[in-house]
Amino acid sequence: MNKKIAKIAMLLSISVVLALIESFIPLFNMMPGIKLGLANIVIVFVIYDLSFKDAIYISILRVILIGILRTGLFSISFFFSLVGALLSVITMYLVKRYSKLSVVGVSISGAISHSIGQIIVAMLFLSNINIIYYLPILLISSIITGIIVGMVSDRLLNYYKSI
Amino acid sequence: MNKYDIKLIVIILFVVVFILFLTRKNNNYANVYYNNELVLKIDLNIDKEYSVEGYNGIVKIKVKDNKLKVIEETSKFHICSKMDYTNNGVIVCLPNKITINFSNNELDTIAG
Repeated sequence: MNKKIAKIAMLLSISVVLALIESFIPLFNMMPGIKLGLANIVIVFVIYDLSFKDAIYISILRVILIGILRTGLFSISFFFSLVGALLSVITMYLVKRYSKLSVVGVSISGAISHSIGQIIVAMLFLSNINIIYYLPILLISSIITGIIVGMVSDRLLNYYKSI
Repeated sequence: MNKYDIKLIVIILFVVVFILFLTRKNNNYANVYYNNELVLKIDLNIDKEYSVEGYNGIVKIKVKDNKLKVIEETSKFHICSKMDYTNNGVIVCLPNKITINFSNNELDTIAG
């Protein structure tokens, strides 16, 4: 039990650090909503190695911690992150459980559901349906970042199993 | 990556094309912004040439067959004047701080 708590705490801190590192890469801060999603590597790892429940815990805590550290708690971007993170964890779990997709596919579906969640929150906040124009570019970038994150997670899982 | 992943990617790309197809529409008005301020509203039903003051000098815009093109501007790479005639999406002349978007009626200036 204690070992598991320590593991979750460590993974949580890794995901927070990855999210912070990512915000220093200027390339992914140019377009609002587009990001690499490095923290998702941790979530994919947790879904495969631990459980769905732990993945939910880690993503909610990560969003809260990032909220405190960077964006401010209960700001608009906090809700954007929260909805996106929860939606992507739930989708990734369902895809992993009920489909034949590999780690890369799971990660792509996580990235896509994150984007769709952001679009839905943006529509609700701004009450403007035109934001859907933004969805194609988010979907394309989700595919690319999903593949990158998926491949890294795949290597990580293989490496972790071998030690 | 397995073949199911490839299928997923192909499906998503189809969805993207579908959304792009759905959101395509013929707009009647073009809004020209300088530094995010609306400086000119163009009726695309009238063929005419316009010029606005950009950051690096005059930006010339031409309307033909309900479509619009930037024909002359001063910049290093001439990205926006290389774009073809269009009535969709957005034209951005970053060096000149000019953006042009399109709308369907006179009042709706932010939409799109």
